[in-house]
Amino acid sequence: MAIATAGVAFAVLLIFMQLGFMNMLFESAVMIHRRLNADIVLVSSTSRDFANPGTFPRSRLLQAVGVPGVADAEALYVTPREWIKQSETNRGERAQMLMIGVGPDFAAFRDPEIAAQLPLLVETGTALFDRKTRGNFIPFRQAIERGERPQTELGGRTVTLVGTMQIGSSFGSEGVLIVSDQTFFEFALNRVPSAPSVGLVNVVPNHDAAEVASAIRARFGAYDDTMVMTMEDFIEHSKGRMRRDSAISFVFTFGTIIGMIVGVVIVLEILSADVHDHLAEYATFKAMGFSNRALLGVVFEQSLILSVAGFVPGLLVSLGLYAVVRSALTMPIAMTAERLVLVFGLAVTMCALSGALAMRRVRKADPADVF
Amino acid sequence: MELSRLSHWYGVGETRRQVLFDLDLVIPRGEVVFLMGPSGCGKTTILTLVGGLRSVQQGSVRVAGIELAGANEARLIANRRKCGFIFQAHNLHRSLTARENVRMGLEAQGRGLPPDADERSERMLAVVGLADHADKFQHQLSGGQRQRVAIARALVAEPPLILADEPTAALDKQTGHDVVALLRRVARERGMTVLMVTHDNRVLDFADRLLEMEDGRIVAARSGTAAAAPVNP
Repeated sequence: MAIATAGVAFAVLLIFMQLGFMNMLFESAVMIHRRLNADIVLVSSTSRDFANPGTFPRSRLLQAVGVPGVADAEALYVTPREWIKQSETNRGERAQMLMIGVGPDFAAFRDPEIAAQLPLLVETGTALFDRKTRGNFIPFRQAIERGERPQTELGGRTVTLVGTMQIGSSFGSEGVLIVSDQTFFEFALNRVPSAPSVGLVNVVPNHDAAEVASAIRARFGAYDDTMVMTMEDFIEHSKGRMRRDSAISFVFTFGTIIGMIVGVVIVLEILSADVHDHLAEYATFKAMGFSNRALLGVVFEQSLILSVAGFVPGLLVSLGLYAVVRSALTMPIAMTAERLVLVFGLAVTMCALSGALAMRRVRKADPADVF
Repeated sequence: MELSRLSHWYGVGETRRQVLFDLDLVIPRGEVVFLMGPSGCGKTTILTLVGGLRSVQQGSVRVAGIELAGANEARLIANRRKCGFIFQAHNLHRSLTARENVRMGLEAQGRGLPPDADERSERMLAVVGLADHADKFQHQLSGGQRQRVAIARALVAEPPLILADEPTAALDKQTGHDVVALLRRVARERGMTVLMVTHDNRVLDFADRLLEMEDGRIVAARSGTAAAAPVNP
């Protein structure tokens, strides 16, 4: 039975990792959203997610400001840009960073650390560096924090790093650079102030964001070039886009199914052997008057015990691996209650399925064989 | 219990072989009948047919007025619950205690465990003289004790019919004698019918009737010595 338990634990581990990675991808895409200081977000109707937001007319922001309940509305400019890495191991390699341009006088981020450093960006050509950028940037980061103003190339121009902050990598980019809106237009020559990427709207205290959002939508009327969403909706929208448009869901769902199949095969193998070993006893029970159904209940019970016994170690190892992934990839991977319940359900299903298959053998046990 | 014109075959096609030929047998309620004969003569086949472990192919088997010929699985299971089986090997479950094994006999009735299941099991163990061994596992019991646990398991649900297949085969002379004596005494007290297959000459004293079989036919029947003895000495 120890092997069976290990088999279930392994399958549970596989499933947890698949689901964990899948959710990590979705979560990493909205990590920046959660740091934005906004109740309502304006994005282009063609927007995919934060890293590929498209642009919308700045005049929509001005319209939004006029809506009752809106406290302020500011523009954020976002684009991916290549830079030359200054990490210890890959110095000089090119990599994709997400460049975010914001007015230095606007509190676009909730994080007080970022807000405190935005004034540094008034000087054009400067940027704040994301400490959580993937790779070993410790010396580089320390140089910035000592005020040495190290430089590197970003999008074909020289950028000076004047401070650090913390956002984290996503699958599309290795990290984030925050620049002023002026710097943004210098580094992204195709972008103009009249076409921002994301509009950040804050509502007056005690106003419902969803109601204000519909008021803004009403104000826009027939202009359907811009979407108005509350922050929660924006987060769900970004995740949903990713779920639908990318192969991520498919790949990881596939992995989850493979994990299930592995589990079913292992448990089936063990249960069948166990049933086979006890065939004489099953036949005896049948001769005594136990119905097939009662005996099937025994096998089911056994598979249920197996699923619990295998789930617990599988869960513990998964939690350990989540911690490893979190520190190695600087990506958000965490256990959620729903996933816990889901995987437990899958483990039970898996064992029940194996049990059902193993029971065909019990069914065949001939009570007349005991004589 | 009544068998009439019962025939049975094993195998199919070329290897098909008849093991019972037009058998007629009536056993009134409460009678203790021993079936004897060389191995392969069809004794055990009769037990499995009467117990509802095999489907009747030709002829008729009636147990307590219920016809088993053409019975469906549910009717066969219902019939098994009316029969207490005692096997050549004790067939106890090794991970259960004696009491739990006996309790299986009640559980097998398919109505869930009665609230007094433990008491009934213990009472039945006391009847077979194992009151002090209720918590022991199979490996802690001697061969005779195991067979007595098996008897307790067969009897605990008070079935009207006991079917035993060479219950003494694995036991020494004295133990075998004691086990059959016990079986007979309990069956007598409770008015159970016993049909037992044996070729153990040492226990024949306990039968009301001895039937000798050969090649699928009953070739001789005589009264056992027990028939002459008073029922309740």
